[in-house]
Amino acid sequence: MRPWKWLVILVLALLVGVASAKKLSFVLDTTDNRADEAQAIASQLQQIGVDVQVRVWKSGVLLDAIKAGSRQAYTTDWGSAYFDPFDLGIPKLTTGGRGNYSFYSNPQVDEDFQVASTTTSDAPRAAAYKDAQKRISSDAPWIFGYVLKNIEASSSSVRGWQPAADNAESMAAASVQGGNAMVIGMRTDQIITFDPAMYRDRDTEAVLRNMFDSLVTHTPSGDVVPQLATSWTKVDDKTYDFTLHSGVTFQNGDPLTADDVVYTFHRILTPGAVNGDTSPRAGLLGPIDHVEKIDATHVRFVYKDPFPESLLLQALVHFQIVPMAYMEKVGVEGFKKAPIGSGPFQFERGSLDSQIVLKRFDNYWAGPAKLSQVVFRMMPEPSTRVAALLSGEVQIIQAVPPDLVPRLQSAPNIDVKTAEGTRAYQIELNNKLAPFNDVRVRQALNLAVDWNSILKNIYHGYAERLPTAFLPSGFGYDSSLQPYPYDPARAKELLLQAGYDGK
Amino acid sequence: MRLLKILQRLLAALPVALGVAVLAFLFLRFLPGDPVEIMLGDTQVSKQQIAELRHQLNLDQPIGAQLIHFFGQLAHGQLGTSIVKDESVTKLIGNALPATIELTFATVVVALLIALPVGILSAIHQGSWLDRAVLSGALLGISMPSFWFGLLLILFFAVEVHLLPTSGRISSTLLVDRRTGFMLVDTLLAGDPRAFVDAVKHLVLPALTLGVVFAAVLARVVRSSMIEALHRQYVTTARAKGVREAGVIVKHALRNALIPAVTVAGLQIGELLGGNMIVETIFAWPGVGRLVVNSIFARDYVVVQGAVMLYAITYVAVNLLVDVIYTFLNPRIVL
Repeated sequence: MRPWKWLVILVLALLVGVASAKKLSFVLDTTDNRADEAQAIASQLQQIGVDVQVRVWKSGVLLDAIKAGSRQAYTTDWGSAYFDPFDLGIPKLTTGGRGNYSFYSNPQVDEDFQVASTTTSDAPRAAAYKDAQKRISSDAPWIFGYVLKNIEASSSSVRGWQPAADNAESMAAASVQGGNAMVIGMRTDQIITFDPAMYRDRDTEAVLRNMFDSLVTHTPSGDVVPQLATSWTKVDDKTYDFTLHSGVTFQNGDPLTADDVVYTFHRILTPGAVNGDTSPRAGLLGPIDHVEKIDATHVRFVYKDPFPESLLLQALVHFQIVPMAYMEKVGVEGFKKAPIGSGPFQFERGSLDSQIVLKRFDNYWAGPAKLSQVVFRMMPEPSTRVAALLSGEVQIIQAVPPDLVPRLQSAPNIDVKTAEGTRAYQIELNNKLAPFNDVRVRQALNLAVDWNSILKNIYHGYAERLPTAFLPSGFGYDSSLQPYPYDPARAKELLLQAGYDGK
Repeated sequence: MRLLKILQRLLAALPVALGVAVLAFLFLRFLPGDPVEIMLGDTQVSKQQIAELRHQLNLDQPIGAQLIHFFGQLAHGQLGTSIVKDESVTKLIGNALPATIELTFATVVVALLIALPVGILSAIHQGSWLDRAVLSGALLGISMPSFWFGLLLILFFAVEVHLLPTSGRISSTLLVDRRTGFMLVDTLLAGDPRAFVDAVKHLVLPALTLGVVFAAVLARVVRSSMIEALHRQYVTTARAKGVREAGVIVKHALRNALIPAVTVAGLQIGELLGGNMIVETIFAWPGVGRLVVNSIFARDYVVVQGAVMLYAITYVAVNLLVDVIYTFLNPRIVL
């Protein structure tokens, strides 16, 4: 071939290239609570020549369309109760995972997750998670987002209380100066039930954990510590033995034994065991087979597949032990009217949708609580909670919106306190569909969003950026991994390589 | 005769309620969003567990079969069990309804206390400064968003002057046993006057929030129908007969002027009995409005169906009541 022919081909190729270079444009679906954020992102992307059309929906409406793969980009969030990527990174980013709305698939990441959820010792699990984070970071399946802090407030007369990352409101060690009753303004409009087998939400759990004890519990920062169990041993990869505290009694005087523990888990694991209904909680325990009694103070958890000890412990925090004899005697309906647990407070009166009054259980095995009465009041409107705290009607309020924090901080005798959040917020991209099937485009978007200014302006600094889909509070978090920097020039370059010139 | 007619009308309401329930049933299932997915939220659950739960809730059946199941339950007098909450629909609505009825009652009292005197006075003094003040006040009342007005009331009466509680139905220290679910009645049954006063105090702000809007609508209707009545010939006749002015206004004019007011009030009360989601949320008032709206968001089909049937029956009953009141106000009207 003669050289001029090469020249012609080169010119033609350039022409085709220029003609095919185009403006990147896509639709970003969001919900009303994040509309401001989505608009801010759209205008930032506009600056590097990307057209974003923001559409605002009611939450829950879009999920079917997202799962069907017909949307391009969407704001999503996902909470974790485990302090382990087991119920965040894994469902969201495993190929075909339950929450994998971005259709991300990386066989090596899948393998890491497989190792992390079936290996029982910590070091290889942590290594697997760290490897997954690096891969996910460079694959950039989402525009990685942030975690919101959990903001709560209390009267400064409150002692011995801290907001917790898992939204628990433990009153066991709490007290009020100049009083012996505490009222807590809850963020929900109603808790679900007094039956510890029949709920899935954290608000119900916040109340129940004051009435019932579990085998283990969390400190406010998320560390697992003994409660009804004094110790535990790993027999093999599928078997764990727990030793129970002796001398623990329920609030009706019955002793708490291994039978009660086995009964509690049997109700949850056996389909139809709660008056013909199945507990929605079984999934929290992973691939468990059954729980059996060894003797009066020892129980054994038997798994079908190897299951990590730390995951089992994180799960057990959320399972409240119920009294077998009493439950059998009064039945489920009777139990819901007069619940009995072994916790520091016992039910006095009230209803699930307005207020629940608990009184101190004087024979609590760990010593009686300081408060004689605890009231959980359902106050779904944040402004009302703030007003009630200001007027002195309640001593603690949950879920303070960031924009109301200054109002509380300017008031005398009010403390605003925060705990680390456990919910990741992000923008998921449909990795299967053009333009987001190109990793350069996904990386470019991560570089083009100035999160620091968005988090400062919209969430008043009560949010922390996440480098990937893993939470800093979770097991195996790689703190050396940095979030994508704000680098619009580099983003433009990547887009150009991908064939988008922004014109 | 009248009683028979009332019974007839009540029976006629049943097919309406059923028809509305079927419509609600179908509409809800066309809404995007899966109740099981929404309920399980962000948890690590296997596909098999999701399928099991869906089967247990009957959601894996075709819509026709679900509808038949629904009617089967209804024939047994059951509205079903909530998908999300661990309770039967009858009980959930039964728990929430007294709170809403109590608030509606208080709202009507507030509205009548404001609207009747204000409407009558401004009709008598038509065109005066009072009349103009009432008209612009009513306009303000109608245009004011209730969440804003409610929060203002809370900030002033609860936070600034500490006169009334922010929210809820009764103080936790005075909580009485639930017998009827009506806090005013339960506190009296418990023989606890302090708790009764406390319950009344809790009612004031939400009733005022809803009542002011209601009063604004009603006052305008009372005013205009009073003006019309005062220009009628029978009023002139009454005055010519030498009836005292108060008698003319109350006995002759007001009685006839009330008919449109009763119509409007009936519609408003029907709406109030459905519960006002916004006011119930702001004042932490555990009523029907909050229950229904939250159930819609959670795709808790069973609860919404039950509530929609309740709404249909309520509207029919309120309209019937309005018709009965007509016959008392003007005996020439027959049912």
